[in-house]
Amino acid sequence: MPRTIQHLAEYGLAGTLLGIVDVLPLPIAVSAARGLGRLWYRVDARRRRVAVDNVVRAGIAPSAAQAALIARASFEHFAVLLAESLKSRRAFNRPDWRDRIEWGIPPELEAILEEPGRGVLLASGHLGNWETAAQLLSRTKPVVGVTRRMNNPYVERLIRKRKPTGAFTLTPKRSADSGRFLRALKEGKILALLIDQHAPRGRIQVNFFGRPCTSYTAIALLHLVTQAPLCFGYCVRTGLMRFRFKATGPLSHPRTGDKERDVREILESLNRELEEAVRAYPEQYLWAHRRWRGERPAPGPS
Amino acid sequence: MTRDEIVEKLRDLMKRSSQAEIDWDAVTERSEILALGIDSLAMLDLIYDVQQEFALEFEAEELLEVKTVGDLASFFEQRMAGRTS
Repeated sequence: MPRTIQHLAEYGLAGTLLGIVDVLPLPIAVSAARGLGRLWYRVDARRRRVAVDNVVRAGIAPSAAQAALIARASFEHFAVLLAESLKSRRAFNRPDWRDRIEWGIPPELEAILEEPGRGVLLASGHLGNWETAAQLLSRTKPVVGVTRRMNNPYVERLIRKRKPTGAFTLTPKRSADSGRFLRALKEGKILALLIDQHAPRGRIQVNFFGRPCTSYTAIALLHLVTQAPLCFGYCVRTGLMRFRFKATGPLSHPRTGDKERDVREILESLNRELEEAVRAYPEQYLWAHRRWRGERPAPGPS
Repeated sequence: MTRDEIVEKLRDLMKRSSQAEIDWDAVTERSEILALGIDSLAMLDLIYDVQQEFALEFEAEELLEVKTVGDLASFFEQRMAGRTS
């Protein structure tokens, strides 16, 4: 199928699904999303293999069968994440929005977040609901999220129109504006970056669950050159449109003069934080993305 | 350190940070930093290196307005003059 026709077909499907999610009550939308997640797990053999393989590699499950259960729960969770993210604007504009979130932030970090004009670096991963985390945090300080453009420009435009506005904004991963990250920090915003994305140009190798993978170095370099407070945080789902936001930090790492070592130490420390969080909530991690690209698949079920 | 030495040093550091294929001998003070393949990540790399090489403490955000190699050289020349005076 020519690329444009495929993109238009995907756009039509995405638009229809969004329309359906809009009109359904929240519990039904979440239940339908869970069903679609299960269906997705059954029909998308390639992604299913990646997810099960990743759970096995991470040593999260003691058997391949249990790895498959976690992988399936992860597909369901991702579909629920999409549905709840689409519904979240309405839920979080209600006066009782605070009842939907439990905060677990160390007092030192809480003080920094409440300090006007102080930029903060937030590292997170594809765990829980990262969209909601950014939305909720933006009520304490404006948040800038770094995002990759979608392969389908029509769906990209559709989703962008639906993104919450106001204090949560997005900036593209690649842009001619080389100073945009520094500017966000200078303007006292939270710059949020997901640290578990594969870096195609092999920026630096770090260990994640004891296995080497490539990682972007931006968050570590930003901390080293600006000394902006660096923290790790994530937002897990605890019930229907209910979440728990947990954070650690601020972490501090001075420049030693050995750039590669400094960057690696920061990234490994952040990855350890992410590992610990994923071990606590394995079914809420996006296992279907190829974190350990380039390695041979581990033995396991297909 | 003379201005020429600063420019030479900066050229070496940019060469290390840049991902682009550039004729670095042709780079002059008028060359735009962005055109030398210094994207947002390379810019951070460069800032780390200059903070170390010139042993200068400055706020990274101060470099946001710097556009050319000459601007960058002036920035460090002024900082170094301030340190010795």
